[in-house]
Amino acid sequence: MFNPGLIVVAFLLLLVIITISMGVRIVPQGFKFVIQRLGKYHCTLAPGLNIIIPYMDTVAYKVTTKDIVMDIPSQEVITRDNAVIITNAVAYINIVSPEKAVYGVEDYRMAIQTLVQTSLRSIVGEMDLDDALSSRDRIKARLKETISDDISDWGIMLKTVEIQDINPSDTMQHAMEEQAAAERARRATVTRAEGDKSAAILQADGRLEASRRDAEAKVVLAEADREAIAKVAEATKGGELPLVFLLGQRYVDAMRKMAENNNSKVVVLPADLPAAVRGIMGTLGK
Amino acid sequence: MELQYWHWLVFGMILIISELFIPSFTIFWFGLGALAVGGLIWLVPALSLTLQLLLWTIFSALLTAFWFLVMKPRMVDKTRAGMSREALLGETGLVIRTPEGDRRGVVRFSKPLLGDDEWSFICDEPVQLGDRVQIRDVSGNTLVVAPKTNKQSL
Repeated sequence: MFNPGLIVVAFLLLLVIITISMGVRIVPQGFKFVIQRLGKYHCTLAPGLNIIIPYMDTVAYKVTTKDIVMDIPSQEVITRDNAVIITNAVAYINIVSPEKAVYGVEDYRMAIQTLVQTSLRSIVGEMDLDDALSSRDRIKARLKETISDDISDWGIMLKTVEIQDINPSDTMQHAMEEQAAAERARRATVTRAEGDKSAAILQADGRLEASRRDAEAKVVLAEADREAIAKVAEATKGGELPLVFLLGQRYVDAMRKMAENNNSKVVVLPADLPAAVRGIMGTLGK
Repeated sequence: MELQYWHWLVFGMILIISELFIPSFTIFWFGLGALAVGGLIWLVPALSLTLQLLLWTIFSALLTAFWFLVMKPRMVDKTRAGMSREALLGETGLVIRTPEGDRRGVVRFSKPLLGDDEWSFICDEPVQLGDRVQIRDVSGNTLVVAPKTNKQSL
């Protein structure tokens, strides 16, 4: 039914189909294929249409050349002044030489993650707590610098590394809050004391000023009395009459005040007022 | 049942269409080969089945070779996105700090390369401040460069 020629040609066709399908490799953009020839590294295929020698060459690894985002898990770090802080980071790496990355290290993600963690720990360990909390950029730069040499053998480039969180541990945070609260309380006490001091000074100043004016007022009053006496003396042409007049006037005023007072209802007015005044004056009236 | 010329044509088209669903760029050439065999049978109807299969095989293999020898070299890279190494190699920059002792030099590029316009570099030959250097290789975050003037004089 089948002649031998047909069978041979059919198998030849099959061989060609399999051979061509094994030899053609389409590498998508963003990937590179590492090709091994009989178990040894041969070449790296770039994106696009590629042909390899079937049966001898095999695609050993398919490596992405896009940036890889790596989450560095959070860890506890002890600073130079023995404070515990918790940090985590995110690293962006890029495989520059796929052959170095696959042959140079067993698991490059794991390797870089561990490297970033340990480097971060040593960098923060050289800083004081306050420095560590405030200088992310410096940590970042140091981290990049430290790691880039270590990963150069693996054909990997550390494009950037960002410190995501850098927080003091719970106990540390509590202590810091307490410290801040105490500082504020101290400032409040000082402010209050300063207020009290200013108030006392102002009050004393007020009293001083008031006394000074009282004294001035007394002088003015005395001046006025002197002038009044002088005027009365002038009006009565000398003698003891002005003195008696003034004294009498004040005596009557005192009597009126006594009368206005609620406590003493009985007021004895002397009938002969000039005689009474003269009596008060005593020898002065002679 | 004798294979007619249109059997080959339809078979060839089916193979070419199936390339859409199995994108391996292999079946496509076999489809083209089948179309060629169909055309040949239309011209010379008295070909035996064995000869038809043999012709299909030869046509397909030749088309494959043609594609790779003629078309492949013409397929240029439209973008180097996602190809860090290729994007870096050959770029030239200006030395803004010369390497001294253990310290590496710094080269600045007019446009940022992979998100950075300043890179540290290693150079085997002595370079001066302001020299133009060309990237030869990448080692971690450090570039291996060579002075550009030397390269042109070679």
